[in-house]
Amino acid sequence: MRMCECTSDTRPMPPEPGGFFGESPDNCRYDSEAVLSPALITVAALLTSALGALGGLGGAVLLVPLLVVAGLSVTDAAPLGLLSVVAGSVAAGARQLGERSVNHRIGVTTEFAATFGSVTGALISGVLPERVLVVLLAVVALAAAFAGGRRTGLRNLPDPGLGVDDVGERVGALVGVYPLGADMVPYRVVRLPLGLSLMTVAGFVAGTAGASGGFIKTPAMSEVMHVPTKVAAATTTFTIGVTASAALVVMAVQGRIDPVASAGVIFGGITGGWLGARVQAKLSPAGIRRGLSAALVVVAVILLVTA
Amino acid sequence: MSPHRFPVSTITGRRQRVALRAVSATAWGLAGLGVMLGESSGVVASAAVVIVVAAPLVRIAWLVVRWVQERDLRFVVLGLALLGVIALGGAIALWGG
Repeated sequence: MRMCECTSDTRPMPPEPGGFFGESPDNCRYDSEAVLSPALITVAALLTSALGALGGLGGAVLLVPLLVVAGLSVTDAAPLGLLSVVAGSVAAGARQLGERSVNHRIGVTTEFAATFGSVTGALISGVLPERVLVVLLAVVALAAAFAGGRRTGLRNLPDPGLGVDDVGERVGALVGVYPLGADMVPYRVVRLPLGLSLMTVAGFVAGTAGASGGFIKTPAMSEVMHVPTKVAAATTTFTIGVTASAALVVMAVQGRIDPVASAGVIFGGITGGWLGARVQAKLSPAGIRRGLSAALVVVAVILLVTA
Repeated sequence: MSPHRFPVSTITGRRQRVALRAVSATAWGLAGLGVMLGESSGVVASAAVVIVVAAPLVRIAWLVVRWVQERDLRFVVLGLALLGVIALGGAIALWGG
């Protein structure tokens, strides 16, 4: 059996190259456990998912920089971040579907561009130098901090001529109606080309830095494409799962997924998201978002300095 | 473009909700078991990863089927193209690696 030549960990390589998780580009099985224990990774995923759910900023944009600052490479941390994104997306999906605020047609349309970006990002992130990835991650953290601190929503006006039977997306168009209390609010997508361009950038961010890109997608949908904030947020929760899965398929083939650490992230991510959603009603999301934005700025500075 | 011009989609999300709850509970359980087993959790942990990663993709495939039933061919093509891009990415990673 081969010994890993890339890290100080001397754990033997998997005996079969190209196994389930593929062979990594430099013939080393990246082992997250060599740097951080699975328990620590689980706790980190739980805390960041809970905070992300509380502040609406997402957990991966906190988790990935924290793991990198703790000593993990971006190449190792990005798949873990994406797994927390998918886990959170799946866990939150059921609740948002119940609120009838997800527009699947808008989601799939924008997701085509985002997936193109995420697959591209995942493919090239495997060959980019670590320093470039760290700087990119720091820029992403700063962008998320900025987006989280300045969130505004475009308000679409309710239509008194619409009833409960009108709620839902429409066949053949990027149009829909969603319930806002007792009101029914119609909406339609505008500026689709610009929106798709931003989605491609969001996908690229996901594929390279391991963050969901939701801090780009939701404002792009709500403020560029004029989708109501609630629909944009719910649809984004649906699409970030697809974007992350697309990148993870590439990363799995590249051999970058550590099953043991991944289990901790999935468990912590789902648990934290559930806890965060339960506590959310009792706290001020705006205040938490500002606190998280400040923390992201600090983390970004640390990343830039250490890069 | 008034919503009245287009028929309301019959996709309410009811079946998706049930499926998503089952998937997240299963993934959570397997992942938790994986955390407890630690080093020897390879199969269990891998199963949790596969379930979580596959769930959104299966959801897209299911939406494509529903859109075929609604005869919304534009979005059927989009959905299939989306799945094709993902498959292509995996294929490129396989051949390039």
